[in-house]
Amino acid sequence: MKLKDLRGSISEFWNEFRKVKSGLVGLGIFAFFLLLLIFEPVLAPFSETNTRWRDISYWDDNPQSAYPIWVNFFSAKKYAKSSVLKDPQVSEEAFGTNRMMTYTFEYDYQYDIAPSDLILKIQGTGAAMMDLTFTRPDGETVYLTSSNLKMVEGGVSRISVDKGSKSEAYDFLGGFESRDNMRKFQRSSIKPAAILFAKAQENMLIDPEPLKGKYTIQAAILLQRPEDTISNVELVVPGRVFGLLGTDAFKRDLFSGVLAGIKWALLIGLLTAIVSVMVGVIYGVISAYLGGWKDSAMQRVFEVFNSIPLLPVLIVMSAVFKPSIWNLILIMCIFYWTGSVKTVRSMGLQIKEETFIEATRALGASNFRIIFKHIIPLIIPYSFASMALFIPGAIVYEASISLLGLGDATIVTWGQILRDAYTGGAVINGIWWWVIPPGLMIAIMGMSFAFIGFALDKILHPKLRTR
Amino acid sequence: MYWKYVIKRVINGIVIYIILIFIFSALFNMQMEQTVRAQIDEVVKGEVMAQSTSGKWTPEQLMNWSKERKVYYTELYNLNKPVFERIVTRAVDTILFRYGKSTIIKSAFGERDVVKIIFETVPRTLLLFGTAAIIDVILGILIGIKKAQKPGKGFDKGTSIATMIVFGMPSWWLGMLMIMFFVYIIKVFPSGGMHSTPPPAGFMYHLDTLWHLTLPVLTLVIIGFWGRAFLIRNIVLSVLQDDYIMSARARGIPERKVLFGHALRTAAPPIVTMALLSLLVSVSGGILFESIFSWPGMGNLYWISVEQSDIPVLMGDLSFSTGLYICGLVILDLIYGFLDPRIKVGGKA
Repeated sequence: MKLKDLRGSISEFWNEFRKVKSGLVGLGIFAFFLLLLIFEPVLAPFSETNTRWRDISYWDDNPQSAYPIWVNFFSAKKYAKSSVLKDPQVSEEAFGTNRMMTYTFEYDYQYDIAPSDLILKIQGTGAAMMDLTFTRPDGETVYLTSSNLKMVEGGVSRISVDKGSKSEAYDFLGGFESRDNMRKFQRSSIKPAAILFAKAQENMLIDPEPLKGKYTIQAAILLQRPEDTISNVELVVPGRVFGLLGTDAFKRDLFSGVLAGIKWALLIGLLTAIVSVMVGVIYGVISAYLGGWKDSAMQRVFEVFNSIPLLPVLIVMSAVFKPSIWNLILIMCIFYWTGSVKTVRSMGLQIKEETFIEATRALGASNFRIIFKHIIPLIIPYSFASMALFIPGAIVYEASISLLGLGDATIVTWGQILRDAYTGGAVINGIWWWVIPPGLMIAIMGMSFAFIGFALDKILHPKLRTR
Repeated sequence: MYWKYVIKRVINGIVIYIILIFIFSALFNMQMEQTVRAQIDEVVKGEVMAQSTSGKWTPEQLMNWSKERKVYYTELYNLNKPVFERIVTRAVDTILFRYGKSTIIKSAFGERDVVKIIFETVPRTLLLFGTAAIIDVILGILIGIKKAQKPGKGFDKGTSIATMIVFGMPSWWLGMLMIMFFVYIIKVFPSGGMHSTPPPAGFMYHLDTLWHLTLPVLTLVIIGFWGRAFLIRNIVLSVLQDDYIMSARARGIPERKVLFGHALRTAAPPIVTMALLSLLVSVSGGILFESIFSWPGMGNLYWISVEQSDIPVLMGDLSFSTGLYICGLVILDLIYGFLDPRIKVGGKA
């Protein structure tokens, strides 16, 4: 086929395709996915999502199970946003060889629901003593913790108020809360951050009212040896809302995860569909063209493959062989190609009888040449529709395998996020932002290819066209 | 004539089943033998323990005896034969439903026989997917015909778009959402399982099952019936373009009669096949769906056996569901041949 012919047929095809609106919508969604895929490095808030998705320490500064940020638009009570305070006021005092470094953070709190934690991060070397003081807008001061820091080069010391200051917060509470309410909670079961940001009054434990205003958090660090150093003191405030899609119970940013899943879904879907449909087309054409006992034999083989229940076999193979994503795609191709064989074969039987095939054969063309040069190019356009319609199935199969926990653990796919959501109790605890986005992405991607596939089907099989 | 066709098709199905079981035994031979060896070790250890507590034998005798027993069991399970022979025996065993013993999973009566464990789950799976399929097909026919009546109009377009929206949606994901909404937000349905604990007695028992069945069936129907309606619409639409429909309309036969009497009768064979085929596909493709609802069927068994890595149950479940799938395909062809007499005469396309 010459290039000019090809261009002509493509533009003709495009003219047809343009008339089917749903097909254009599908194409639009597909293009949108491609854009997201291309700009993933720019868009993803966490650049190492692809490699460190299962590395808990990478996500440590995020809040746990935080709502998506846009929940604040719909909620009357505003949830605290996550933020990192980076530039403390530093003052240094020397007492002989001892140095007292004081880092003062100002946090402007204007929300209704308190952040989930306060985390102080310190880098440095050597040993130090640290006192953490928390001053509220109403003048109350809480001593949060005093701890010994042992710092090593390159490491980061983390002091979490939520973990380390329960006792102090409970004592602070004792000055205001009624004894009855105090008795309802144990010292170890309270949430320090919720108390620290609440108005000091009765019921602040049960039904806290937010105390808005400027808070001061002061870290006084005592260094005893001259060679000890302190650098990069940061205060992380993990809020109650985070990122476009919130975080999961393992503190991972779901937007990054969902974004990282796009390329795998596209790869799995496209590769599986293209390879298996091509195999099916070639198989069907060869079977039709050869005819006779070869045809019968090939049809028997086809019947055997056609009788395999796909998902059970995939599950067992994944459970036994623990395949990587490439092997999974290969396995899917091996069992997936049968879908298009029947129609292709019947088309091949028709084309085989055409006069131009006879003419080519009279000219002495080999079977190989006739099949691949003259018959398959005629059938390929018809297989585009089934390719598009195969893609969602392949994506769902991979997701199902991942849901069982048999997916490739080195990558991030939507199915694996859903697996974590399911086993992490997202359904029971109502963490909808963990369950809905990945599944919705699967559904939308499936939908876009369904739109494209059905549009192609409509063009290629005009009989179904509406009168 | 029809019987000849039936016999031919059934034999064909059986042959395919046997071939597939051979392929499976060859593929998973290693894994199966590992579990059998582990089981033998366990049994021999138990026997040696029992002997050593009796205190009659010296340690040396015990050692020899344990070796003997191991050899005995190895021979019993044919593990000393060449690989090919082992594969063949395994395949024959599988075909005769001798799936062996499970490693962890037990049936409701505490048996470790894989066949019993599987047979327990089959009716439950059929109940769930069968109910859903019946509702699906009825809804699909009603809506599909409505769609075909006025193709390209608002209703047809709207439902077609809905078809495409649910096309790539995993049923288990919708199940999760349904559970989240109907179980934990508005507490209408139970979270899963087939019965309340403890199950009520008498007539209430069946009502209880129905109550547990509602949510999964609802989910399956929401996912499924669009696609069926779309297929039925296409089939009916192509029939409606035939000349005899036009002539029927021209004769003044009421539209209802044209649709249900003329068009639907001609369209019946492909509709039945497509409905059954999509039922088969949805059963084999929706097996994970059961575990989301903790429905104790075959699909849930896959989940459990993967989680517990109970290989014999996994293999038994696979062989059995393959058998069911092939059965379904054969029945499909038989019904098709029954409804459309042209099929069985020619035999070839």
